[in-house]
Amino acid sequence: MTMHAPAFISFFLFAVAAAGFLTCGNLVRMLMFLELMLNAANIALVALGPAPQSQSYAVMLFAIAAAEAGVGLALIITLASVFKTLEAGNIKELKG
Amino acid sequence: MIVAASVYIFGAIAAAATLLMLFQRNPVKAALLMLTALLATAGLYLAISAQLLAVLQVILYAGAIMTLFIVALAVTPEAWHDKPSPARLKQVLGLAAAAIIYMELVKVSAALRAVPVSREFRDAGTLDLARQLFGPFAFQFELLSLVILASIVAAVTLGMRRKANQ
Repeated sequence: MTMHAPAFISFFLFAVAAAGFLTCGNLVRMLMFLELMLNAANIALVALGPAPQSQSYAVMLFAIAAAEAGVGLALIITLASVFKTLEAGNIKELKG
Repeated sequence: MIVAASVYIFGAIAAAATLLMLFQRNPVKAALLMLTALLATAGLYLAISAQLLAVLQVILYAGAIMTLFIVALAVTPEAWHDKPSPARLKQVLGLAAAAIIYMELVKVSAALRAVPVSREFRDAGTLDLARQLFGPFAFQFELLSLVILASIVAAVTLGMRRKANQ
């Protein structure tokens, strides 16, 4: 097996998640695809980097992903209670 | 041989689940497909002998983050009734952008076809990872607690504002 196999898998996952993020309008689904993009980047980091260092960075990225999901979902719940919608296209003003 | 087969199988499961998520309209089914993709990724980590990362993937991603998503879907009934906007142009542009990203990444990774999997890729153990985290990366690792604290404060502040508005 060459390094190309895990790299190819992570790049494919990243591209599909990016397609989902760019095409769907629902905020929760967009955040889900964002998490999957981060997950794909993590796979590339672990598979392609030098072993102990890349895995250390991957552990740190896990914590960043958890923090991002927490803040993102809190924002989404607040937006849903203010605008009564989760479609990104229907939210057109910044003042809540 | 077994390692290569596991990488391909878990990679295919993750790719299929992510692809199916694109076409799934029901948010809970989409969340379950995401869970499948995350668990397949944990299997992938196990195959490339990153055992600690596989365990953390199951606990953090498939456990904590997925629970957050399910709770968010449960408390926002708006997510179930929204009609998707019929913006065809946006979808076409999004798919084109993703295709360009994919083609560029594949072009860049073509050089990796000649690089065999390194030895340390197979031999990396949890002890080495722990030595790194509590040795050279100790400061960065501790700094992460501040990041998580800041995110907790942000989430609680947003929740309190929502309660005050109601």
